[in-house]
Amino acid sequence: MKSADVPTTGGLAYRPRRAGLGRRNLSWLGVAVIAILFFTTLPFYYSVANGQLGILFFLVFIYGIVAQGWNLVAGYTGQISLGQNAFFGLGAFTTGLLWFWNITHTGYWFDPVLMILSLLAPALLAVLVGLPLLTRLRGDYFAFGTLGLGMIIQVLFLNGGNVTGGSQGKLLIQVMPKGVTFDLRTHYYVALLVAIIATAVVYILTTSRVGLALKAIREDEVSAASHGVNVLKYKILAFAVAAALAGLAGSIYTYYMLHPMPMNVFNTDWLFIPIIMVVLGGTGTLIGPWIGALVVEFIAWYGEKYFPGWHPVILGVIMIVVMLFLPSGLTGMGENARHLFFRRGSRAR
Amino acid sequence: MSYFLQVVINGILLGSMYGIAAAGLSLIFGTMRIIFLAQGSVIVFFAFVVYFLFAKAGIDPYLCLLIIVPFAFLVGLGLFYALFQKATALEDKNVSLLIAVGLMYLIENALLKAFSASPRGLNISYASAVLVVGSIRIAYVPLGLLGLALASAAVVFVFLRRTRVGTAVRAAAEDMEATTLQGINSVWVCAISFAVGVGLAGVAGVGMSTVYSFDYSFGFTFALKALIALTLGGLGNVFGALAGGLILGIIENLTAFYISADWIEAVSYGIFVLVLIFLPQGLFGKRGLVKKV
Repeated sequence: MKSADVPTTGGLAYRPRRAGLGRRNLSWLGVAVIAILFFTTLPFYYSVANGQLGILFFLVFIYGIVAQGWNLVAGYTGQISLGQNAFFGLGAFTTGLLWFWNITHTGYWFDPVLMILSLLAPALLAVLVGLPLLTRLRGDYFAFGTLGLGMIIQVLFLNGGNVTGGSQGKLLIQVMPKGVTFDLRTHYYVALLVAIIATAVVYILTTSRVGLALKAIREDEVSAASHGVNVLKYKILAFAVAAALAGLAGSIYTYYMLHPMPMNVFNTDWLFIPIIMVVLGGTGTLIGPWIGALVVEFIAWYGEKYFPGWHPVILGVIMIVVMLFLPSGLTGMGENARHLFFRRGSRAR
Repeated sequence: MSYFLQVVINGILLGSMYGIAAAGLSLIFGTMRIIFLAQGSVIVFFAFVVYFLFAKAGIDPYLCLLIIVPFAFLVGLGLFYALFQKATALEDKNVSLLIAVGLMYLIENALLKAFSASPRGLNISYASAVLVVGSIRIAYVPLGLLGLALASAAVVFVFLRRTRVGTAVRAAAEDMEATTLQGINSVWVCAISFAVGVGLAGVAGVGMSTVYSFDYSFGFTFALKALIALTLGGLGNVFGALAGGLILGIIENLTAFYISADWIEAVSYGIFVLVLIFLPQGLFGKRGLVKKV
């Protein structure tokens, strides 16, 4: 442990802030209401099914849901998960395969049963993987232990034979429910709804006692444990919720692609791009992932149009530059410079 | 039995590549206390440099070592001072970790954009030359990998044990604060160990270019294997990391031979998780190190 002259900001010095009290929270509530109103009414005066913005916002929601989950585990809890693509792909395949083989016999369009199962499967995987990886004190083990997860789960689906369809996956368009027309407006609304729910879940978790525990773990794990926080339990909880959100996003994406292939849904883009979104927008803030998602998707969209192939390079540069010079991201720009990214007090070395 | 021996020997030869990469990671971890996740992508970058030196200038890959290693050392110094100097000083290691993640993404996509997705491999004239010992056949090129690994191990050993900087690096790996109090420039020590780590990545890049056909995305896979090798050997143990690489190579080749090449990643990941649960200090690591750091 560090000597006593180092001021500790860690432990339970943080108090959870409740909404609806301060002026600051009210203004954020206003922003949220305006954003939700804008996005819910957009399809009434803009054709989301045909226009570019429809698909762009749909992708913003999908990536943003994954990003919001990563934000919970990395931004609020301080554990860098590098396995979000595994959870996204597992969610996509849970929906795709259960639908194709008609195992649940539900067969709705945007089937709630399948979506809930696609949320549970990644969460279960997260608990199984989290138990060995998160018991270690060092966060690095968690980071590089989860790094390979996407590739390993992908191997299972690649070698699943006829059950999973191997590298080709299964064509879901053959098993479309009767009487359903593919309308992007439905996708837009479902993704928007899940995006709102995801944000609400992260909000509720982080402003409750759970959030207090998560932030205590982020600031100083040893101190949190000595104050009676069950470190492992809360770390796994955050990791599982993040995995569930990624799986849910994967499920919605399957209804859009109608053809989940291991190469696509386990692509490392589903890992890196949400991370870049959170880092750019502001880690450990509720609005940050959404600002990041909007900016990154616009860069990707117009970058692909005018400089094809270069936008991932630009995004990589942005991520490094933000980490070096703007560690609190776009949301932190106006904030006090003291609130440094992931700032920790004393920590056992 | 001779099959088994053959498989094990091939495993050792291929695993020596993981060993070199893991030793680099271990050196960097020792002083900076970060896992340099971009190591695999950096290795692929150097493999591309070797490819172009060979294809355009006709320089033999082993001769390329003379160019690549100093170049990699300088790249390492540059990367450290540009990206990691400030972040290493922070108590919070997540910043350096995320910079490494960004660097990995950046290098991978820059390679994709610059050299397209088609796999590259060198056409070396002596690629098919084989050494026959009894019933065992060993190709010279993978044998070269083991040579590279042993040579790097020797160089790193001399560096760590016989030079003043190396002693400082070892001291810093033991206790950075105490080392700084002795008047040793901690930034310089970190920079040197980072540069030597990236230099080892250069060696691994040369090795990779001679055996594998590689493309931009190979770095991700390779980084994983280096990390598994590192865990097998024990964090912060340079020579343990080398041995961990050899063991991983053997495991992979046995899996490919007795089960199927499709399951290599799954089996090595399973072993990684098992080691993490039951032997968190690795096979050769010092007990207690994991608890301390």
